Amino acid sequence: MIVLKVATRLLAIVGKELIEVARRPGALFSLVLGPFLIMALFGLGYDNSGISFRTLLVVPPGSGLSTQIADYQSFVAPGITLVGIQTDVESARQALRDQAVDVVIVAPTDLQANFDAGRQSTIRVEYDIVSPVKANYALILAQQLGYAVNQQIIERAAAKGVSEAGSLGVTSAIPPAVIASPTRADPHNLAPVDPNLISFFGPAVLALILQHLAVTLTALSLVHERHTGVFDVLRVSPVSAIEIVLGKVVAFAVLGAAVAALILGLLVAAFHVPFLGDVGLVGITIGLVLAASLGLGLLISVVSDSERQAVQLALLVLLASVFFSGFVIDATQFLPAVQAVGDLLPVTHGIRLLQDLMLRGATTELWRLGILLGITLVTLATTWLLLRRALSARA
Amino acid sequence: MTDPAPVQAPPPVILLQHVCRQYADVVALDDVSLTVAPGTLLGIIGPSGAGKTTAVRILTGGLQATSGAARVLGEDPQRFRRRTRERIGYMPQLFSLYPDLTAGENVDFVASMFGMLFLRRRRRVRAVLELVELWPERGRRASDLSGGMQRRLELACALVHDPAVLFLDEPTAGLDPILRRTIWTELHRLRDGGRTIVLTTQYMGEAEECDAVALISAGRLVALATPDDLRRSATGGDVLEIATSRLVDGEALVALPMVRAVDQHSGRHLFVTADDGGTALPAVIAAIEASGAEVTSGREFRPSFDDIFATLVGRHRAELGGADDGRYPVTSTTTADEGAA
Repeated sequence: MIVLKVATRLLAIVGKELIEVARRPGALFSLVLGPFLIMALFGLGYDNSGISFRTLLVVPPGSGLSTQIADYQSFVAPGITLVGIQTDVESARQALRDQAVDVVIVAPTDLQANFDAGRQSTIRVEYDIVSPVKANYALILAQQLGYAVNQQIIERAAAKGVSEAGSLGVTSAIPPAVIASPTRADPHNLAPVDPNLISFFGPAVLALILQHLAVTLTALSLVHERHTGVFDVLRVSPVSAIEIVLGKVVAFAVLGAAVAALILGLLVAAFHVPFLGDVGLVGITIGLVLAASLGLGLLISVVSDSERQAVQLALLVLLASVFFSGFVIDATQFLPAVQAVGDLLPVTHGIRLLQDLMLRGATTELWRLGILLGITLVTLATTWLLLRRALSARA
Repeated sequence: MTDPAPVQAPPPVILLQHVCRQYADVVALDDVSLTVAPGTLLGIIGPSGAGKTTAVRILTGGLQATSGAARVLGEDPQRFRRRTRERIGYMPQLFSLYPDLTAGENVDFVASMFGMLFLRRRRRVRAVLELVELWPERGRRASDLSGGMQRRLELACALVHDPAVLFLDEPTAGLDPILRRTIWTELHRLRDGGRTIVLTTQYMGEAEECDAVALISAGRLVALATPDDLRRSATGGDVLEIATSRLVDGEALVALPMVRAVDQHSGRHLFVTADDGGTALPAVIAAIEASGAEVTSGREFRPSFDDIFATLVGRHRAELGGADDGRYPVTSTTTADEGAA
């Protein structure tokens, strides 16, 4: 009889939660399909053509260099769009200040003379960029430009040398281009799939949406009850803290599993994200990401004083997830202490495992499943203890 | 020959012993003691902020008493066993339902929380929804119900598991008079069936519906008695309202042995307070007619409970050193003692 009563209570809590979610389809839509559609739009809309800087070349008078754009196209690296050539440095800088151009390249005035005299010339590259990413990119482009110009100079010098040697009856089998660039890289990506944005972010989006869904729904679910008369009725009733926690976990796990299946199906069928790994392992990973996220959400729910605070904490978890989980920036780029913060988030492990399992077919980091299980147990046990205390009388 | 075995009174279902509850500097309940016998309908009545809800929450285990002891069904509310909890029903003061669930789903959910299995639950859900006249509305979401309907729905939730002890915090607040009558009829039926009911109300007139009334003011128990005893306590006895054909001297009536006081509202309209109204009325009429006046009407006067509680609370405050003299609010009162003097 006791078992039947416990089962009755559990089923009632599960049913109540699912009915409440079903009666608010807008909330479910914004929690699941909203982020998914944004990510899909991002993946489909991002053309991956890279950053392109509008560049002005300054050729000082008397330098002897050409003022025709066409003559410089071979020097221009990808990412630089040569928009004009000027002879006056100050007017070029004004254009930079006016943000009419992004980069100004000032050619050396006496390149040939310096070279002939055995001195280095300086190609001055100026830019007015506040974005650290773009500034780094501009720096790399400036260095590449230097290499390209150097390579051209060496190649021309080699050609000149070969020509002069030929006139003296000395021949060389080595072409000037090889003298200038004796080696070239031949990259091969051995990953089982061709990298593309949707494939790479697909598993990460799945993990992030599942965590966000679970955290937000559970955080709001319990905090609402705690701060209304419902909790007074529950407190008088024979329902226990463990039954409430289990009921909610089961309800949202069912919901999360359905959402996971839906998103996974969309990713694979509609967006052609590879699924190379073992279905069972992917299922276990998704289950543990959900369980750990539910524990985190319930914990937020029992420590929050209001629905507003619960929403704020859920958003903080989302923000931390975007920054520290490896979703955008590789987690290894952070200090170890900050990496540890990321490791407290279920999504960190979910992203890594799902990307490995789906895109590589296997993972060398199965230990992350243990961390997910640990997060689940710790958060649920803490929630249970705090809820049990909350269900007892206020002193 | 042996003495007959003494008849033992059943143990009280509810017991408060010197219970105090303090919130920081505010004393919400101050040394409250009371007992409630099985099958009693106790009304806890008092002005807003008097401590009624605090008392109920201590009895349901929602609050811990700062000092003193509370027992319900023989157990400390802080340590109710599951079986005991299944015998207790509670309706909080604030709206406490799930707005996205329908009326039927809300009652069904609460019934499930109390461990009711499917068949019995289905039967009881219908019974209590019919009782509160919400069966036709069972498919409507709680958020779509009017305030009165929501209150009735909460009452249905409190009743659905047929509890032995029922705590209702202002169950009739916001209900129309006809529905309040229905609710009281049901509460009387439950009481007659052996249920013990403790409810709070701000409607003083509802004291008449209770077997016993605990009057609470500023956290203190001002009075605990039956409604009739409370009335007598406030007025000092039975009050007779007498109208005469011409002027009479009210002070002359004070000399009658069973008369305690006379309030003369006008020369031809008297309120006579006596130990026993039934016995005193013929004697009072005879005395007035002996003085040459004719009694045009004479009946027992039942002051409203609003007046009774105002009197008792005022008297209590006066005892505590307040300004109110605690006298029943009538004019030109002459007491037997004053008359004798």
